[in-house]
Amino acid sequence: MEEKRKKVFISMSKTIVEFGYKKKQEIISFLESHPNDNVYMDLSCYDPAEFYSSYPQLKGAFAALFCDENKKVEIHLKEKNAEAIQILKDHGLTPIETTIVSCGFIFPRTIAQIVNEAFFALDEGIASKEDIDRAMKFGVNYPKGPFEWAQGRKEYFITLLTELYQKTQDGRYKISPKLLNS
Amino acid sequence: MDIKSVIVIGAGTMGSGIAQWFATHHVNVELVDSNQDQLNKALTSIHSSWDKLAQKNKISTAQAEEMKKFLFVKQLSSANKKADLIIEAIIENLEIKKNLFQELDRDFSAHTILASNTSSFPITLLAEAVSDKRKENFIGLHFFNPAIIMKLVEVIVGDKTSTVLAQDLYNWFDQKDKKPAMCKDSPGFIVNRVARNFYGEPLRIVDEDDQEKMREVDHILKEVGGFKMGPFELMDLIGIDINYSVTCSVWDSYNKEPRFAPHKLQKQMVDEGRFGRKTKKGFYQYE
Repeated sequence: MEEKRKKVFISMSKTIVEFGYKKKQEIISFLESHPNDNVYMDLSCYDPAEFYSSYPQLKGAFAALFCDENKKVEIHLKEKNAEAIQILKDHGLTPIETTIVSCGFIFPRTIAQIVNEAFFALDEGIASKEDIDRAMKFGVNYPKGPFEWAQGRKEYFITLLTELYQKTQDGRYKISPKLLNS
Repeated sequence: MDIKSVIVIGAGTMGSGIAQWFATHHVNVELVDSNQDQLNKALTSIHSSWDKLAQKNKISTAQAEEMKKFLFVKQLSSANKKADLIIEAIIENLEIKKNLFQELDRDFSAHTILASNTSSFPITLLAEAVSDKRKENFIGLHFFNPAIIMKLVEVIVGDKTSTVLAQDLYNWFDQKDKKPAMCKDSPGFIVNRVARNFYGEPLRIVDEDDQEKMREVDHILKEVGGFKMGPFELMDLIGIDINYSVTCSVWDSYNKEPRFAPHKLQKQMVDEGRFGRKTKKGFYQYE
């Protein structure tokens, strides 16, 4: 009888791939509303580990909010799922798998700190936005300048840096007032 | 502004690259070094580099020969005392640099612009070595390695640097196929400051001496981020010791601001003599 019930339960599980920016409470609400599904969620600005531990229905997380023109997206899979990967591909994305679970993944977290520093430098009047972008692209071959990365994504960077600071209490993640207020 | 004659002092990697760039753009350049062997080596190497470009049909043989006509090697005593611009690219030692600038200020024409390619010292500090009158004509011109390929020149404005001069030089480089960036005199200028976290953050993501994780971070930042090299392979190429030293220098200059703090692994590797490719051991192993 127990075995039979389990089978019914499995057959009712759906694979859900959830895109877009959400505040933490919205993520929790979403996960709580899908207790029996296999959820793969955009957690670009957060630490997937924090949700994995409390919500077993979360089977993977990806970072599409920081996706560039190449449409490649970092994904961590707690449970492999071909359907979830196909859904991402159907949205024009190319998933690149990582085994590292980190707050803000790898690419978003790294550029968040580069962008934050560029805003500090701007705030101190070191150089213009254009010259900072130009310096990073032509001095060290960055694919984009920090302000080009920040375009349309300031809220995401602020959320990610806030999360990093709250988790680590490390002053290196304090946000530039210029990034916060511009 | 028209720069027609340049002197580059220091025939090491940076000085040679800067001199080659000027000659390539048909600006008369005198490469100066107190070590004659170093000068001869630099001249041979630059000529050979143009010859190779001609062999690969990237430029014609005539173009290569023409470029050679713009490059001279000299001792400072016989250099053109009326040069338009002098770029210092010698060892990063404050006292030696200041002594040199004092000499240049004394011996060269009043119109000669004195510039430093330093990445370590404030331009305003170096300018203390020259007369008040010359301070207006004293500026930072920070090139990137290899100077013949990397387009950026940071134009660094010291406290007394003429802003007109800075803008004129910015415009001149802009017209000559460089990508100048105007920058206030501050630790690390733009690039060495903003780029610190391209190394610091991946070190904290990995947080331990784990080659597999480093390989994964390098892979993601190249594949997803579009960077040409990953941070760990780049640090191995630059030299862990060099990168650690720049990190500490910027960190100290900003009063140990946590954003610039080195990671414990960097110090550990320097202590162990794991300097990267040059010692065949860095974050990765090299045969």
